[in-house]
Amino acid sequence: MLTRRQAIKALAAIAAVTPVLAGCSSGTKASTSSDGVTNIEIVSYKQEATKVFAQLEESFNAQQSDIHLTVSSPKEAMTVLKTRFVRGDYPDIIGFGGDVNYSDFVEAGILTDVSGYRGLSKVKKPYLDILETLEYVPTEGTFGVPWMANAAGVLYNRSMFQQYGWAIPGTWDEFIALLDKVKAAGVQPLYAGFKDTWTTLAPWNALAVELAPSDTCKLVNEGKTTFAAEYREVAEKLYQLIGYMEENPFAYGYNDACTAFAKGQSAMFAIGSYALPQILTVNPDMDIDSFVMPGSNDTSKLVLNSGVDLQFAVMQSCPNKDAAYKVLDFLLEQGNMQTYLDAQSSVPCVEGSFEISSMLDGMRSYIDAGKVADFQDHHYPSQMSVDAQIQTFLLDGDVDKFLAKFDSDWVRYNRDIIRKVQAYENSQK
Amino acid sequence: MHFGKNMRTYYLILIPVLVLFFAFNTFPLINGLIYSFTNSKGYGGFDWVGLRNYADLFSDSRVGNSYLFTFKLALLGTVVINVLSLVLALALNSKIKFKSSLRGLYFIPNILGALVVGYVFNYFFTYILPYLTHSTSMLADKGWAWVAVVVVCAWQAIAMNTIIYISGLQTVPEDIYEAGALDGASGWNKFRYLTFPLIMPFFTINMVLSMKNLLMVFDQIMSLTQGGPAQSTESISYLIYNNGLAGGQFGFQSANAVIFFIVIVTISVLQMRFLNSREEQL
Amino acid sequence: MATSKVKEKFNWPVTILLLIGLVSVLFPLYMTVVIAFKSPTEMTTSIEGILSLPQTWSLDNFAKAIEVTDFWHSLLNSVLITAATIGISIVVHSLVAYAIGRNMASRKTFRFSYFYIVSGMFVPFAILMLPLVKETAQLHIDNPVGVVLLYVVFYMPMNVLLYTGYLKNIPVALEEAARVDGSTTWSTFWRIIFPLMGPMHATVAVLTALGTWNDVMTPLVIMSGNINTLPLAQLTFQTQFGTNYNLAFASYLLAMLPMLVFYLFAQKKIINGVINGAVK
Repeated sequence: MLTRRQAIKALAAIAAVTPVLAGCSSGTKASTSSDGVTNIEIVSYKQEATKVFAQLEESFNAQQSDIHLTVSSPKEAMTVLKTRFVRGDYPDIIGFGGDVNYSDFVEAGILTDVSGYRGLSKVKKPYLDILETLEYVPTEGTFGVPWMANAAGVLYNRSMFQQYGWAIPGTWDEFIALLDKVKAAGVQPLYAGFKDTWTTLAPWNALAVELAPSDTCKLVNEGKTTFAAEYREVAEKLYQLIGYMEENPFAYGYNDACTAFAKGQSAMFAIGSYALPQILTVNPDMDIDSFVMPGSNDTSKLVLNSGVDLQFAVMQSCPNKDAAYKVLDFLLEQGNMQTYLDAQSSVPCVEGSFEISSMLDGMRSYIDAGKVADFQDHHYPSQMSVDAQIQTFLLDGDVDKFLAKFDSDWVRYNRDIIRKVQAYENSQK
Repeated sequence: MHFGKNMRTYYLILIPVLVLFFAFNTFPLINGLIYSFTNSKGYGGFDWVGLRNYADLFSDSRVGNSYLFTFKLALLGTVVINVLSLVLALALNSKIKFKSSLRGLYFIPNILGALVVGYVFNYFFTYILPYLTHSTSMLADKGWAWVAVVVVCAWQAIAMNTIIYISGLQTVPEDIYEAGALDGASGWNKFRYLTFPLIMPFFTINMVLSMKNLLMVFDQIMSLTQGGPAQSTESISYLIYNNGLAGGQFGFQSANAVIFFIVIVTISVLQMRFLNSREEQL
Repeated sequence: MATSKVKEKFNWPVTILLLIGLVSVLFPLYMTVVIAFKSPTEMTTSIEGILSLPQTWSLDNFAKAIEVTDFWHSLLNSVLITAATIGISIVVHSLVAYAIGRNMASRKTFRFSYFYIVSGMFVPFAILMLPLVKETAQLHIDNPVGVVLLYVVFYMPMNVLLYTGYLKNIPVALEEAARVDGSTTWSTFWRIIFPLMGPMHATVAVLTALGTWNDVMTPLVIMSGNINTLPLAQLTFQTQFGTNYNLAFASYLLAMLPMLVFYLFAQKKIINGVINGAVK
């Protein structure tokens, strides 16, 4: 018979044997199979592009015999990726956005420095600069190959504009005048889906790239400015736009807004190029064009809000980097990029003569000239939920409260990063 | 007698199960506790930060608001669910036509996934209800969005609670009513003094279960409001999940989860104590 | 008894009220069906557009949904995971509840074990999630086996509570009689107690099935998207930059269908199962 003491002892022994916290990783997958073929696995966060990648995967494997490529685009990809990192099970290449995740991954030291990779020379400089500014602390090297960009501004119903003879605005005053004119014509000027908080960031970013310095967040981390100083005009102008949106835009989601715009219920929609495929599913024949949202009356400051939508990073743990680079070479080939562009109405990050969707005509000259500035929200930590804070502000209209909270929350959520940045600054002196 | 041998069998059954339970419940819980003293993102390196996360919890207005919202939801929800399911159970237990079909149909909400239900109700609140009431969407109003969450949670939870009450009502012997009828008890009095005391244990189960489930609400928030508008419907579980893994605040949210665990256990124990003492009185 | 039942009188007002009340249950289902059959171009933001019947009852959305979600594989995975969870839960939980229930009164170890397991009901999943991801990976069970194992642990508190409660109604005398005949504890359980727990097995099966079938988080984080279950496949429609609601609702309907069909056939058993669970 087992006594109670024995039972407790047994339990304690088992508890001691069970490994504590992080142990060794289990992700020991064979990168090279017995027949000498190297396996390369890409995990991409673009679930909507699953089909295109299946196509690219197939054509790569058809022309390469010593490398076998697998691309997966799982649901909830960032969660999936992070849980895989937690268990030390890294893919060879990850495809993700140039946002705060990039900052985190670089800081965690899990990405390979690809600055020696020859394909990088084809990438347009502004997009490489964007990656540079995303690093919390300046880090030697480049850790991603920007592939596709997106652009945000205003999408408009081209046939409606032609019918009424409306002109594209170049300044903030012209923009407001246009909105008034549309309203006077009995047409809903703008439609928004602010129930999905992230959509507030589209007009927010579009205004912020012109009205606030592109490195605002960095300057704040260094203690050189405050958000209250930089973002007041952005906030006030965004609030002004609410008056031109449908009644109670907070009741409708992103999908509702896409549907409404596609059905001609509004003349314009302040959103990014990523919305185009969705709008076209509702109304495949719609004639859409876009323009850069003007934030001020100084036309020289006009710049397109564009960021890295999809970049490829080779993981530090990838055993066969040359094979990974071969895959990147393939992806950077003009024809293959065009395949993706056609499917997703994207903007390429790479030099070359690509056919870009006519729906981006109004943004084309900015793209070609490289007059682009990154989404400011790519620097915001996601746990701070700036999008929800913007929604809160738009609901109650209190600019001072919003900006004060922005500054105080920023310090609260970025404490460890600010400490690192300031330690870095001090070490540079 | 084989007393010793019997006990050995009992222990041989108990111990492996306890080990399993420890390994996949207690052990990760302890790990979570350990993380709550770090600034871990969940992956990569981390620093020990002592009790900072706990200190921050009490000064974080977002966490405070999520507790307020969750408690508001749990309190109103528990009342609504229990009142409606008790009424429904009484109706479904009376002499009605199509009794078993009706019971079956009223149970359907409980077998559906909360995610799907949330999406369907999203449509309801965004388009249909405003049209009927000539008002704006509840989900866009920070004063009302939480009520919408209560409605959806109740819609699903009532089914289960009703069935539990029905089973309680079936334990009430018929002759007690006959005796009551002689005393002239009828309607409300009959329910208040005869039926209710007898189903008190079921009332306890339902109160504790619905309170606990509402305190842990997650799926409905995810599909219905995503915490909006203006962060007015962020439940504690939603915040822990959303900021913990997706948002890289894993250490901090682990601290939140530890406190949350303590709160839920305390509330449930208090509830059971209180209701059990009432049961004995009756 | 000799009470010849006179034609039973029905309470019609209550019946009618209950029938009207059914609208609140069936209306959301109606909407799901209607949206599932429409094409995206039929979707409008006006009330008539949402409530109206689809122009054609085309199965295109369903065919596409089956393809996009890899429906049959997802269904198979869901069925296997749910069935394995139910099977193991019934055996393991009834067994441990028996060991605990019969010794709780006399031995502290068992009483402690009871409260230890039951209190697990209050542990929020969020705190366990990430540590479990690491743990299952280290043990190489970041696969359906691990998911089933976790479910068996997650539902243990509830099921042990139910089984021990039910066990109180089974007189000890039965076992003692068997024991006098020389039967061991083990065989007594299988021969006498396990069959007697029949109604409670049904309850446990129903409650466990409802929980596992609709669960998204556990398979998502443990298997990291390598293996789909039916609810997990529904996330396909929630990409941030585009949701085709018609396709999504068709798929949701497909995901609900197995449970609804199963419910249709086993309705009485399910309802009775839940009732038994509550009666202890």
